[in-house]
Amino acid sequence: MAYIDRFVEEARAVPRRTFPMTIVAQDPAVRDNAGRILMAEVDVSADRLAPGPWSHRFHVIDYDASRRTLRQPKPLQGEVSDDIVLSDPDFHAQNVYAIALRTLGAFESALGRRVPWSFAGHVLYLVPHALADANAYYSDDDRALLFGYFPASSGRAIYTCLSHDIVAHETTHALLDGLRRRFQEPGLPDQPAFHEAFADIVALLSVFSVPSVVEHLLGEPDASGRIAEDRVTERALEQSALIGLAEEMGEEVHSERGKALRRSIEVEPSDRWRTDPAFLPAHRRGEVLVAAVMRTFLRMWRDRLRALIHGGGLDRARAAEEGAKSADHLLKIAIRSVDYLPPVEFEFEDFLDAMLVSDTELAPQDEHGYRDALRVAFELFGVLQPQGRTIDLSTERARPLYRHLHFGSLRTDRDEVFRFIWENADLLGIDTSYYTTVESVRPATRVGPDGFIVSESVADYVQILEGTAAELAPRDLVVPSGVGGSTPIQLFGGGTLVFDEFGGAKLHQRKPIMDMDRQSRRLAYLTEGGMRDTRGRLGFSLGTPLGQRFAEFHRPDTRSGEDW
Amino acid sequence: MAGNAVPSPSRVRVRMYQVGFGDCFLLTFEYAVPLHDGRDQRNILVDLGSTRKPPSGTDTADVARLIAQHCAGNLDVLVVSHRHKDHLSGFGTKESKAIIDGLAPKLTVRPWTEDPTAAADAREGNPVGDESRAFVRGLREGQTFAETLARSLGSAQGRGLRADLKSLALDEVSNADAVAQLDQWASTGAASYVCFGSPTRIEEFVPGIRVRALGPPTLEQHPGIARQRVDDPDEFWMLYRRLLDEMPLAPVFADGVRAEEGQATSGGALGPERWLIERLSGQQLASYLRIVRILDDVLNNSSIILVIDAGTQRLLLPGDAQIENWEYALRLAPEAPEARQLLSEVDLYKVGHHGSRNATPRSLFKLWTDGGAVDRPMTAMMSTLSGVHGDTEATHVPRATLVGALRERMALHSTEELSEDEEFVEMQASTTSSDPFKRT
Repeated sequence: MAYIDRFVEEARAVPRRTFPMTIVAQDPAVRDNAGRILMAEVDVSADRLAPGPWSHRFHVIDYDASRRTLRQPKPLQGEVSDDIVLSDPDFHAQNVYAIALRTLGAFESALGRRVPWSFAGHVLYLVPHALADANAYYSDDDRALLFGYFPASSGRAIYTCLSHDIVAHETTHALLDGLRRRFQEPGLPDQPAFHEAFADIVALLSVFSVPSVVEHLLGEPDASGRIAEDRVTERALEQSALIGLAEEMGEEVHSERGKALRRSIEVEPSDRWRTDPAFLPAHRRGEVLVAAVMRTFLRMWRDRLRALIHGGGLDRARAAEEGAKSADHLLKIAIRSVDYLPPVEFEFEDFLDAMLVSDTELAPQDEHGYRDALRVAFELFGVLQPQGRTIDLSTERARPLYRHLHFGSLRTDRDEVFRFIWENADLLGIDTSYYTTVESVRPATRVGPDGFIVSESVADYVQILEGTAAELAPRDLVVPSGVGGSTPIQLFGGGTLVFDEFGGAKLHQRKPIMDMDRQSRRLAYLTEGGMRDTRGRLGFSLGTPLGQRFAEFHRPDTRSGEDW
Repeated sequence: MAGNAVPSPSRVRVRMYQVGFGDCFLLTFEYAVPLHDGRDQRNILVDLGSTRKPPSGTDTADVARLIAQHCAGNLDVLVVSHRHKDHLSGFGTKESKAIIDGLAPKLTVRPWTEDPTAAADAREGNPVGDESRAFVRGLREGQTFAETLARSLGSAQGRGLRADLKSLALDEVSNADAVAQLDQWASTGAASYVCFGSPTRIEEFVPGIRVRALGPPTLEQHPGIARQRVDDPDEFWMLYRRLLDEMPLAPVFADGVRAEEGQATSGGALGPERWLIERLSGQQLASYLRIVRILDDVLNNSSIILVIDAGTQRLLLPGDAQIENWEYALRLAPEAPEARQLLSEVDLYKVGHHGSRNATPRSLFKLWTDGGAVDRPMTAMMSTLSGVHGDTEATHVPRATLVGALRERMALHSTEELSEDEEFVEMQASTTSSDPFKRT
C-alpha cells in the first residue's frame, strides 16, 4: 500500500518522476475474495506536495459547505484498513487527488503536453466532502470538483469521492473544458452529449486500465490461475466485464450511472437516435457514443486474447493485462482525438473523424485493426467518417502561401496563425468577412512511426456572426415558426489547423460558418428546447446559472422525449 | 325513473375559477329529473388553492363564495388532487374553509399518500405496501425539511437564489391547517384514497357517471414515482433536516473547525481556502434548490389522475401529474393498452400543472394527434399565471411550445384570458349528444 506519509518531498539526489499511490480500484462496494475493498496501486507524477495534498495542478481543500466546516489535512500514517478507507478524510483526500492526477496524466501523456484548465489559473480545487448531496460535479466558475456525500441505508455515509469512475468522470469534464471551452456554447444536441459521453468513456477506460479491476470482473480462476475460453467470448466479456461493472457502479452512490452504462451496452445498434426525441437529452444521446466505444474496446480486447487461448482456456492475469492494455490504447486514441476536434459546432461524426485521423498520423499502418474496429462499431449506429471535413493540405493541388510568415511563430503565436489564415483564406475556404479569431495554438508532441519525437502544433479558430432572424433568413437560414424576425441570433463556425514540426500546415478540420443546413438544424434544436438567454436571444447562451452547468442530477430517463 | 335504472346527468358544466397561480374547478352534473333528494344537480369540487393572486386581487374566500353560489349550497364530492399549496390552500384559510365547510362535502377524495394510515402498518384491504409506507414517511420528512429550510432562509425576498429557494420551499410545506380540515371532512363524511385502478366512490355520490383513477401508482405498482432512492427515503430527508436543525453542527470529522457566522473560517485562513469557501455557499443553496425540486416533483407525482365519463363526454383531470406518474398508465401498467384507448377519446382536458413543460407528456398528446384522433373535437382548460415560475423560456410556466400545440389541436381556454372583471371560465356540454363543449 502506498500513501503520502509526508507532504513535503525531501530533496533527492535523483528526483523521481512518479511515485505510487493506493486508490480504491472501483467503488467501496466492490470487494476482493477476502471481502476487503478492492484497491489498486497506480503511479502518479511526483511533485512537491504541500498539505492537502496540494501540488502545482491540484489542491485538495476539505471544506464541507453543508456543515460550514474546514478540516486541516494530515498525511496518512500506519496501516490503512477498510475502515480507514471508508471513514478517514485524509484517505479520501489522497484518493481523490491520486485519481484526478492519474486522469490528468493520461491526457498529458496522450497529447504530449501540459493541459490547461479553462480558467485563468493553474490549480483545480478538489473538495472531497463538499456537500451533503448525492451528487458530484465540476464547477468551472469555482474552479473546483465538488464531491458530495449522503447516508445509505446501512447508516454509514457514502462518499462520491471514493468512486473511481466518478472522480475520473468529473476530472475529464474539467480537462475537456480546458481543451474545448466553447463546447459549453449553444450548439447541436451532439455537443452537450459529447461532454457526458467523453467523460464516461475516459472514466470507464480508466477503470478498465487497472488490471486488478479486470481480474475481479473476469471472475475466479482455477487452481492454476486459468479461466475457460468461453468466459472470454465477446458476449461473455460484455456480460462479465461491462454489465458486471454496470451493476456495481452506483450501487450505493448513483444508480442512474449504472443504469446508463447498462443501457449503453444493451442499446440496439441503429441510427434512430438521430430522430427519436428520447435521445435529445445529453446523457441519453451520449450513450450512443459510449456504446460505440465500448463495443470497440470489447473487440480490441477479444482480438488480443486469441493468441493466448490454448487448451480451451487462458491465464486470467494475462487476460486481464490484455484488457487493461486495450483500455489504455483506446483511451489514448480517444484523448488524442480532442486536438483534432472542431472548437465549436460539434457533431458525433467529428469524434470518429478525429480519432481516425489522429491515429493515422501516429500509426499509418493500422496493424492491430483498431481503426477498423472503431469504424465498424460507429457504423452500427449510423455514424460514418465524414468526407471532406478534414482536408489534408499536403495533398491539395494548391499549397498554402507562407510569405511574410515566420515558421517558428506559426507553432506558438495566435497572431501568426491568424496571419496565415488571412493570407490563405481562399485556399482554406474561410470567409474572413466574418469575425474570426484564433483561440489557441498548442504544441502536440508524439512518437512518430519511426520512433523519432515529432513536435506538431494545433491551432483552433472560431468565427462568429450575429444578426436578426430577418437578416439571416435571406442567406438560407431556416427560421423556425415562433421566432420573430427581430430575434437576435448568434452563429458559430470554426476549425482546427495542424502544423507540422516545420510550421507547415498539414491538416484543416473545418465547420464552415455559412453551412446553413447545419445552422438551421442548430437553430431548430435551440428553439424547440427554449434555449434562449435572458434577453430572448438564440445562440448566445444556454441560460444556465454560473457554476451549475454540470451540476444537474441525471434527469430521470422517463422524461426523455416527453417534455415540451 | 323506471325500475332501478341509475339516473344519468343530461348536461355537464365545468367552471374554472380565476385563482391566479393555482387550480379550482367545479364540475356540475345536471339531471333532467330531480334525484331522490329533490336536487337536480351534483357537484364535484376539484382543488381550491393559490400561491399568487390574479391581477384582480381575488382571493380564495371570494372564490369559495362563488362556489357556494354555483353549487346551490351543496357540495357532493371534494377532490384534492395532491398536497401542493396551489391546490389546497383554500381549505386552510379561515374564511374560505368556513365557506366550504358550510357546503358539507359528503365525500373527500385524495391520493393514497394522504391516507392517515398510509405510513402505519399494513391493514387488510389496503393496497399500500411496505415500500409505499416508507415512501409516505419520507414524504412527510421531506415536507418538514422544506419548512425548516424556509425558516432558515429568514426574510429572503425579491429575486435571487435565496429568494427563489425560499419561495419553492414554501410551496412544499405541508399546509397543516388545510390537511387538518380535509382530515376532518374525511372523518365526518366519507373518504377515499385512490391509486391507479382503485375505486374512487365518486359514483356513489354522483349517479350516472363513471370515474376511473389512472394515477397515482403506489410504489409497489411503480417505484419510479420516487425520485430519491427507495430504500432509504427517511434517511434521505432526515439528513437534510438534521443539517438545518442542528445548528451549530458537529463536524462530520471530529477535527473539523466550524466557521462562525459571517466568517469564512474560524481559523482565519487566508488564500485559496478563503476564496473557495466564500464561493461555496452559493453551491450549497443551489444544492438545496435541486433537493427541493426533487420534493416538488415527487409531490406533483402524487397527483390523482381522474377520467370521468358522463354520457357522451369524457373529462380528464390529472392535477399536476408528471411523466413518472403518467408513464404507469401510458406504458407500464398491465392495463396500459386499455388506459391509452380511454385517454385517446377525451373531450375535455384540464391542462396539467398549469401548462408546464413536463405535465402533458408528448406520448399522451400523441394519442390526440395520431391518425383519425386528430379530427376529434377537444377542449382544454388551463388555470395558470405567467411570471410566477420559470425564469428561462425552457422552464417558463406555461410553456409556450405546449400552449401552441394545444391551441393548434383543440379549443384552449385559459384563466390568463379573463379580464379583471371576469371570475371564471364556464364550459358546458350535453351528455347525450357528441357536440363539443361550448363556452357559456
